[in-house]
Amino acid sequence: MVPGPPALHTTFFHFHYITFCIPPAADGTCITTYTYTDTDTDAATLREPVDDDTSGCTMDAVEKELDRLTGRANLAGSIRDIDGCLELLVAAKAAIESDPTMTAATMAALETQLKAGFDRTNDSLKEVYTGLNKYGKALDKKFKLVNMSDYDVLSTHQPLINRAIAMHLLREGNFSIAETFIAEADLAAAVPPTLEADFRDMYRIKEALRLRDLGPAIAWAASRREQLEARGSNLEFELHRLQYVVYLFGGGEDGPRKALEYSRREFLPFQQKYLAEISQLAGALLWREKMTASPYADLLNSETAWAAVADSFTSEFCSLLNLAAESPLYIAATAGAIALPTLLKMTSIMKEKKTEWTSQNELPVEIPLPDKYKFHSIFVCPVSKEQTTDSNPPMMIPCGHVLAKDSLQKLSRSGNRFKCPYCPADSMPKDAREIYL
Amino acid sequence: MCTPSQPTTSPPDRVSFSGKMAQKSASSLNPETHLLLDQPLLRLPHEVLRKIFKTSQKYVEQDSKKLSELAKDATRSATPASPDASIASINTMITRMQGLKRKMENLHDEEKLVHSQSRKRTTHLNDLYGLSSLLDDGYGKWSKVRLDRLLVDYMLRNGYSESAKKLAHEKEIDELVDIDVFLQCWSIEESLRRKSTTECLAWCQENKNALKKIKSTLEFELRLQQYIELVRERKLSEAVAYARKYLSGNFDSHKNDFHRASCMLAFPPERPGPYKDLYAESRWDHLVKTFVTTHHNLYNIPQGPLLHVALSAGLSALKTPSCHSTLPSSRSNTASSVTSLCPICSTELNDLAIHVPYGHHTTSWVEHDLVVLPNGRVYGTRRLEDLATKLGLGPGRVKDPITAEEWDSEEIRKVFIS
Repeated sequence: MVPGPPALHTTFFHFHYITFCIPPAADGTCITTYTYTDTDTDAATLREPVDDDTSGCTMDAVEKELDRLTGRANLAGSIRDIDGCLELLVAAKAAIESDPTMTAATMAALETQLKAGFDRTNDSLKEVYTGLNKYGKALDKKFKLVNMSDYDVLSTHQPLINRAIAMHLLREGNFSIAETFIAEADLAAAVPPTLEADFRDMYRIKEALRLRDLGPAIAWAASRREQLEARGSNLEFELHRLQYVVYLFGGGEDGPRKALEYSRREFLPFQQKYLAEISQLAGALLWREKMTASPYADLLNSETAWAAVADSFTSEFCSLLNLAAESPLYIAATAGAIALPTLLKMTSIMKEKKTEWTSQNELPVEIPLPDKYKFHSIFVCPVSKEQTTDSNPPMMIPCGHVLAKDSLQKLSRSGNRFKCPYCPADSMPKDAREIYL
Repeated sequence: MCTPSQPTTSPPDRVSFSGKMAQKSASSLNPETHLLLDQPLLRLPHEVLRKIFKTSQKYVEQDSKKLSELAKDATRSATPASPDASIASINTMITRMQGLKRKMENLHDEEKLVHSQSRKRTTHLNDLYGLSSLLDDGYGKWSKVRLDRLLVDYMLRNGYSESAKKLAHEKEIDELVDIDVFLQCWSIEESLRRKSTTECLAWCQENKNALKKIKSTLEFELRLQQYIELVRERKLSEAVAYARKYLSGNFDSHKNDFHRASCMLAFPPERPGPYKDLYAESRWDHLVKTFVTTHHNLYNIPQGPLLHVALSAGLSALKTPSCHSTLPSSRSNTASSVTSLCPICSTELNDLAIHVPYGHHTTSWVEHDLVVLPNGRVYGTRRLEDLATKLGLGPGRVKDPITAEEWDSEEIRKVFIS
C-alpha cells in the first residue's frame, strides 16, 4: 500500500499544526476547522508523568479488601448461623420427645429462637454485602473505568487476526493448540502449508541444542550453506567452533585429540574465511588447563555460548522463512499495552474538546517506545516536520543534508538555486538525489 | 571509511543526546497506567461474587420465610396431647433447613473458588509492580502471559472454545481466564442462532433483578421474537394469546413496538408491507448482539476482545510509512544477517496493519554515522562494517546488505540526518 497524502499535517515553516475538524452542525451548513497547535506543553499533557514515585502504588488496597472477603465476609458465617438453627430444631425435637407436656412452650420458644437465628443469618449476609461493596470500591479506585471499545479498529478483520494467531502458535511451538485452533477457526487455507513442518523442524533442532547436541543444527546449517553465506551469516562456523570447544573441554583425557581430529575434518571449508579464528582455536589446545585465565576465555563451553548459538540459529531460521525473528503478535500486543495509556488519554482529550481526528493515515500523538521496538529508520523532515513516505521521499542535497521532497520543491520554488536550511551551502534542486532508508 | 565532500558545518549530534533522554522515559514502566488491559481480570470475578451473594440472599429469604411460617403454624397447633404432630412439623423444618444449608454450602464452595482465583490474579498483577523497566526480562515473561490471556479471551468470545481451553491448560493460566462465563455466553448465542429463545429466556429469568436494574429490553425483544415466529407460521390466535401473556405487561415502555406487533397480524410474511423488518431473519442477529451486549454489561467486561484493543494500539505504534512501501527497507529485511524483519513487515501482521494509521514521530530516528551507497541506500557505518567482516570482503570493500551490490568504500559518502 502506498500511503496517501499526509492529510493530517498542515505545513507552515517550522511550526507544526494538527488539524481537527468539528463535525458539521445539524443543519449541515457550517463546517468549522479547529486548529490545534502541537506545542511542547500540549504534547506533555498527553504523556504520562515519567518519574512518578510508584513505590506507594501497589495492589495493597485491593488485596486488603480481598483479605476481608476470604476472612470474614463470606458465606461461612451464615452457614454457621444456619447450623445454629438446625441445632435449635434438633434440641426442640429432643425436648418434646423427652417431655411431651412441654410441647407448646418448646414450640413457642423455638419460634422466637428461630427468628433470632434468621436475624443472625441475615446479619452475616450483610457483612458479605459490605465486604463486596468495599472490594468493588477498591477496584474502582485502582482501575479507572475507560471505554476501550473506542480503540478497536480491527473488529472487521477476524480472518486476518485468526491467521496471525495461528502463525504465532506455530512459531511458539504450541503445535497441538495450533492444530485445534486451525480446525476450529477453519484456517487450513490461510496458513502457509509448510509452516508447521518448518517450525517443528526448528523446535527439534532447538531441543537438541538444549540437550547440548549440536548435530541437528550443524546438519541444518550445512544444508543451507549457500543461503547462509550469502546473508553473511557465520552460523555454521559458530556451531562447529562450539563443537570443537565441547570436545576440547568435555572429552576428558581424550579431548584434545578429538578436538584436533574434529578441526582437521570440519574446518577445511572455512579455512580461508575464518583463518584467524581457526588459528585461535588451535592455540586454545595449549591453554586447555587454565582456560579461564587464557586469551580464549570467551570460547569456553558456557551457558552464554550455548544461548548465543541458539538465538543466532532461531534468527537465521526465521529469516530464511522470511519471517521476523520474534513473534510479531507478541511484540505488537506488548507495544499496544505500552501505547494504550497515551492513546486513551488522547481520545479523552479530543472528546473533551469535541474534536475529531481526521486522518486515517497517521496517529495524532507520538508514542514513546523503547528502542528495541524500533525497527525502521525514521526520517522527519526538519522543514516540514513530516515523516517521509513513498510519495514524499527523503532527498539528499550535495552538502550531505537531507530534506523531504516536498520541502525541497517549496524551498527552491521553480527549480532555482536555494540555501540549505542547515548550513551555508547553496544547492540546485537538480543535484538532490533520492535516498532510501 | 573515506568521507568525501564534508559539509562546512556538521549538524550537532542532537539525535543521540535527546535519544538517550527519551529512552530513559520510554522504557520506564508505570504499572498504574499499564494495567488498563487487565481490569476485567478482577472485575469479572467481582460480579460473579455479587451474583453468588444475591443467590444466597434469595435462598435465605425464601427459606427463612417458609420456615418462619412453619414454626408459626406448628406453635399455634401445638398441644401436649399431640407431640407427634409437633415432632412431624419439626422434622419437616429440619429437612428444609438442611436443604438450605446444602444450597448455601454449594454457593460457599463456588465462592471459595472465585476467592482463590481472584487471589491468584491480584498476585499476578502485583508482579508487575515489582518491575520498573520495560526492558526487564521479567516484563517480557509477564507480557507473554498477558498475550496468552488475551488470546484465550479472543478465542472464547469467538467460540473457539476447544482452542481456548487447550491454551489455558497448556500455559497453566486457567485461574487467569474466565472460561465458564464465556462458554455459557457462547452456548446461549448459539441457541439464538439456531432460533431458539428458550436458553436465553432462562438466562433472563436467572438474572431478572439485575436486568430490571439496568432497564434491559432483552427479555421483551425475545418475547417479541417468539410472537413474530407465531405470526410467521400464521398461528394467529396463539400469537395473540402469547402477546397477551408476555408482551402486554410492557405496554407502557414499548408502545410503538406493541402497536407495530399488533398491526403485523394483518400482513402475512409473503406480503410483509411495512413490517418487513419484524419478519426479517436479521432480527435474530440483532437478538444475538443484544444478548451479548447485555451479558457483558452485567459481568462488567469489555464489549470486544481486548486483543483487538491491544493490537489496534500496538500496530499503530509500531507501523511506519516504510512498512507498506514498495521499496525494500534498509533495516527491516531478511536479506542479510545484519538486518532483521520488523513485526509489521512480517507476513503475520502485514495485511492486518494496512487498516491502522502509522505512528507519529516528531524527530528522526536513525543509526549513527550514516552513509549513503552509490545506489542511494542509506546504512549505519557499523552495520556495513559488520557485514563486510562476516562476508570476509577484502579491505576497503562494502556490500549493500539488501541488494548485494558491492563497492569500494571510496564510493560511499556521509549523510547527515538530525
